[in-house]
Amino acid sequence: MSVKALYDYEFPSMDRAEVFDDDVLVYVHWEGNPIFCSAACFRVPKTMPFGEFVTSFVVPWAESDPDFDPERTQHWRLFNDPLDVADTKSLADLGIGHKTLLTFAA
Amino acid sequence: MSTESPSAAPRKKLPLKERYALLTRDLDWEPSYVDREQLYPFTRYEGIKIHDWDGWQDPFRLTVDAYCKYQAEKDKRLYAVLDGFAQGQGHLTLSDASYLNSIKLFIQGVTPLEYAAHRHFAFLARHLEGPAPRFAALCQSIDELRHTQTQIHTISNYNKYYSGFHSWSKMHDRVWYLAIPKSFFDDAMSAGPFEFLISISFSFEYLLTNLLFVPFMSGASFNGDTPTMSFGFSAQSDESRHMTLGLEAIKFLLEQDEDNVPIIQDWVDKWFWRAYRVSALVAAMMDYMLPKPVMSWKEAFELYFEDQMLSGLFPDLDFYGIRPPRHVDDAIAEKEHLSHQVYKIFHNFSSVAAFTTKTPDDAHLDWLSEQYPDTFDTHHRPTWEKHQRVEAGGRRMFFQGLPQQCQVCQLAISFTEKDDPGKLSFRRSEFRGETFHTCSDGCKWIFDREPEKYVQAWLPVHQILKGDCGGPTIPDVLAWYGIQTGDNGEYTGSPDEQFWRAWHDPSLKHGE
Amino acid sequence: MNAALRPVSIDLQESEENRALIEAIEADNPEVTTRHLPGLIKLQAPGQIVINRESVEERLGHEWETGEFQLAIVSYTGNVSEWDDDQIIVKWEH
Repeated sequence: MSVKALYDYEFPSMDRAEVFDDDVLVYVHWEGNPIFCSAACFRVPKTMPFGEFVTSFVVPWAESDPDFDPERTQHWRLFNDPLDVADTKSLADLGIGHKTLLTFAA
Repeated sequence: MSTESPSAAPRKKLPLKERYALLTRDLDWEPSYVDREQLYPFTRYEGIKIHDWDGWQDPFRLTVDAYCKYQAEKDKRLYAVLDGFAQGQGHLTLSDASYLNSIKLFIQGVTPLEYAAHRHFAFLARHLEGPAPRFAALCQSIDELRHTQTQIHTISNYNKYYSGFHSWSKMHDRVWYLAIPKSFFDDAMSAGPFEFLISISFSFEYLLTNLLFVPFMSGASFNGDTPTMSFGFSAQSDESRHMTLGLEAIKFLLEQDEDNVPIIQDWVDKWFWRAYRVSALVAAMMDYMLPKPVMSWKEAFELYFEDQMLSGLFPDLDFYGIRPPRHVDDAIAEKEHLSHQVYKIFHNFSSVAAFTTKTPDDAHLDWLSEQYPDTFDTHHRPTWEKHQRVEAGGRRMFFQGLPQQCQVCQLAISFTEKDDPGKLSFRRSEFRGETFHTCSDGCKWIFDREPEKYVQAWLPVHQILKGDCGGPTIPDVLAWYGIQTGDNGEYTGSPDEQFWRAWHDPSLKHGE
Repeated sequence: MNAALRPVSIDLQESEENRALIEAIEADNPEVTTRHLPGLIKLQAPGQIVINRESVEERLGHEWETGEFQLAIVSYTGNVSEWDDDQIIVKWEH
């Protein structure tokens, strides 16, 4: 127990996976595009196919940049590792779990 | 029968030192009906060792009679200014209505912290074991309530004519960007009394106070905001006592026992960084939200922190074995970029904030280029010019979604690597099988040191996604936040801007 | 740099009332430099600044308590090393 306290300091984490049931929180970063101050945070069903995730969540967000071209999203990474994406595979299948960070270039 | 001769000497007052001893130390007593540990249950668990509470010196030697006299005088002077300004429609002499976005940030973000400080210093006024620090804490508690009240009174005048001021207290507890100052103070209040003294009295009220307050007050002075400036001067005289308490607190703790030194060092490291991250809001304000800027964030940071603190204070603390804060080099490296990155957060998200933002015009961009000659044109100007182009085409770009937040400072994770200002900094920790994201080495270090505390953080973005902030849509969330139409979005065309233009329109006929 | 050389500073509100105080400080601390900022006078000196009640009273033309310094001060850098009925000293200790 690293926190100094007068009692047993044991509490559950506020945003642990079970609180989100069958969904996960996913962060998406458009690498090298400074018009967005930060990555975006989405709540997505684990079973959603990746292609649907991109069209329903990523594109509506990314297209607030008028230069965004959805055809050009590429070089997906899961944290620091290249991610072999497929439109029909689910987020769970691709290893995109709770509070993971996805990065793409466009 | 004798009468007093007209030339008799006036009755002498007690010397200051004696009066102070009589009204503090000499009013204390050692209880016989309960032991010391029962009377003071909070002063042992942090591992800090105190051998002699009488070692605490208050150089101001303030007593309750002098306190009341001087504070009453300060209030009288301040309220005279507030009345004059209000009676004379002084708000019309502001540089521009857009200036008031900085004051909206102030009442929403800072005033509630004054109130929190009032409460916690009252706690210290009971639970510190020596009469001198207890009385100093009591004075500070009343000071902080005074600051809360005077800020509310000062700023209430603007609430009559401008948006965004109306529900600051509710907003402080709920709105995403206000979690930055709120979580900072909640972290301090939920720590022990000694950590609180280092976090607030030392790090906030001494180390970083000039960086936090002088920009707001100078900004007020430069932009015609007489009431805020007067409030600032009125409060600053109290602040000099608060600074003294902070410096006295750290020296007292360091002098009491050598074993306290590493504990204090850790707290200095943590709280410098937490307070520095809160000051990022001031950086954005100084560089972007003042129609008449005072100085750049970079210049203020160099003057108030690097010169006065690193070169002035820390050599003094070196005597006790305290070194400058861990991660201070990161703060120094960031001074070229901090304000631009944080204003970008505000600009991206003012659609869901209780203030408005606008893209800097060319004159403003030129000023920024002058202030940051080595970095602005390469790293930040192109983004603002793109916004200008988007707006020239009739659109206004806002972030259509929610940001990734830092688990500790709760800012959007928007800072960049020291060696590559084009690369966003991501830091990550695992705890009990769960991933936690932070914005910097400084915040990650804080998380890793006390993960049990920070995993409980109420992060606004995650809370919205859990449905705990009024509902699933943005209008639901804004309603829950208390944000009303006109409070948020783009400054140009906003109710404040239209009102300002109407009042200052030279084509209005006489008496119109 | 040792304590005797490191600059201490006192920021005072620029007001009619504080003229006498500022003049007294300038007279009693020959190495002090004075800088004007909006609404504010910044007094800086190497090592220490001393405020003497008698000097202030001489210039004010009436009695002055050192406690009244609290109404004038905006900020300071250094330690308040002494404060009694006659004198206030701001300096670095180490």
